[in-house]
Amino acid sequence: MEVETSSSSTASLVDKAVVPGDIVLDLTSMSDQTIRLGAGLRQYSDVLSVVKAGKLKFKKPNKYWVESSQKRYAPSVEDTVLGIVVDARADNFLVDIKGPTLAFLPVLAFEGGTRRNIPKFEIGTLLYVRVVKANSCMNPELSCTDASGKAAEFGSLKEGYMFDTSTGLARMLLSSPTCPILEALGRKLSYEIAVGLNGRVWQKILVEKLMQRVQG
Amino acid sequence: MEQRLANTWHMTINEKKFIESALSKNIRVDGRSPVDYRQLTIKFGREDGSSEVQLGETHVIGLVSGQIVQPYRDRPNEGTLAIFTEFSPMADPAFEPGRPGEFAIELGRLIDRGLRESRAVDMESLCIVAGKSVWAIRVDLHILDNGGNLIDTANIAALAALLTYRKPECTLGGENGQDVVVHDPEVREPLPLIIHHMPVAVTFAFFNEGDAMVIDPTHKEEAIMGGRMTATLNSNGDVCAVQKAGGDGVSLSVITHCLRLAALKAVDITSKIKNAVDSYNTARALRKVKRHNALVAPDITVPDSVMKGNQIGQLAEHQAQKFKEESTKTFDTETVVGIPKETVLFNKKNINFIRKDSDSFIGGPSNWDPYSQSIPPTFVRSSQIFPGLHSSS
Repeated sequence: MEVETSSSSTASLVDKAVVPGDIVLDLTSMSDQTIRLGAGLRQYSDVLSVVKAGKLKFKKPNKYWVESSQKRYAPSVEDTVLGIVVDARADNFLVDIKGPTLAFLPVLAFEGGTRRNIPKFEIGTLLYVRVVKANSCMNPELSCTDASGKAAEFGSLKEGYMFDTSTGLARMLLSSPTCPILEALGRKLSYEIAVGLNGRVWQKILVEKLMQRVQG
Repeated sequence: MEQRLANTWHMTINEKKFIESALSKNIRVDGRSPVDYRQLTIKFGREDGSSEVQLGETHVIGLVSGQIVQPYRDRPNEGTLAIFTEFSPMADPAFEPGRPGEFAIELGRLIDRGLRESRAVDMESLCIVAGKSVWAIRVDLHILDNGGNLIDTANIAALAALLTYRKPECTLGGENGQDVVVHDPEVREPLPLIIHHMPVAVTFAFFNEGDAMVIDPTHKEEAIMGGRMTATLNSNGDVCAVQKAGGDGVSLSVITHCLRLAALKAVDITSKIKNAVDSYNTARALRKVKRHNALVAPDITVPDSVMKGNQIGQLAEHQAQKFKEESTKTFDTETVVGIPKETVLFNKKNINFIRKDSDSFIGGPSNWDPYSQSIPPTFVRSSQIFPGLHSSS
């Protein structure tokens, strides 16, 4: 594999479409800097190259990652996702989050959760959860609390309707400033919405009307 | 076990309750009315007897093939019909490769019953020699994508494939006049099957303990339905088969209402199948006609020299003249007797072909064999340029 020294084009690749093999940064020209790599980037000796096709993103001071849109979901830490309860075991619930494997949700990972007040989730319950651990070799671990231990809207979602989207559309719905689709819908109806980064969207219209699908 | 759980599709309680409450108000999630079908697309493959049907997201391929076998002892002058289904694992995560599951067998039986008991396919016309050789027609249905309502889609695929299948023509020949000679499709035009009528399957799904009913359920609706009923009718309103295997009980009035609806839908679907088959047959006939014009354009297959039409005609004429002289000279030689005449005849035919608008009709034999175009034009040209070389008999 030939390595091209394209250090002059690093800044220009940010926010552009990249494909596997593109060199993002040449590390020989930088020293004593910590660069954080997100999804889709890998370090090969002294270059940073792209391993997944998508758009290169940069956040100051030193975070780089590649955003791509797919039907599948690759679990990563601190993502908020929508999961479906598949089974209940002694220690944890088995939850499907559209990843390669099922995820575990410990029965105690709730605000004020003790052995006495374990929630009873039926099979098929929709949950809004946060990914705590995600390695490619293990089942991901989830939690219904935020980092400080508070409930913060996590937990089961009742009523409403759920549908599947691509991960890109889910990210677009969560972008700030507020996505225009959500604003336009809000002008006509009042609703509650939960968007999972794994490509699942749950919506409940607070008026008794049939909801139309949010097309991206 | 965990891997199998991870790979199956799961439905949430929210979706189930939502679809049920919407149906109680006669609304469906994809916006259809409860008695509407999804969009139906019927396509055909290159070969006779291969169909591809899409009903919404459901995708099924039908293939018909025939084989000559010995008939059953109790029906010595009837052919046989067999339906085989293959539920490909790519259609649904619930489909496992290997032995067909319960639903796969039910689907095959349902389509088989609709065709066989109503005598839609004429079995006696499949007989070649009574008691010895009959045609065994085999219909293979491959499920490519399960978007709900596989029964109706597979039935339409089977009908479309049967209507476009052509079996090779057979005659009795051989030394004792009892052998079956199967003619090549290039030699004799294959024959279509005799189909008396088209039994169309219409599937109904029941929800909320028999209160709500929809036609053509989607995958999600099928996952939460309480019961299912399939009625197979033809466009005349004859009921060919009715199947309701388990599930919620429904009252008789609902059943008769469903049968009436099925009669209307059957007429609609029959006309769609007929239109698709007609356009396929027209395209097929056009393809056959184009073959005969292969020799008209002479500059297509000449490798080195590109000659214009009239030039070749002139050359052919010139060679024909030469041949005539030669044939008169060497008429008594054995080896050449049969040949020059043939080549002359051949060239004359060629001339007729190439200069079809010229009035220099030499007056050769007019029994033009349409299948002689299997001889490539390069052979013709070489016989013109090297007349002596053409000495094989």
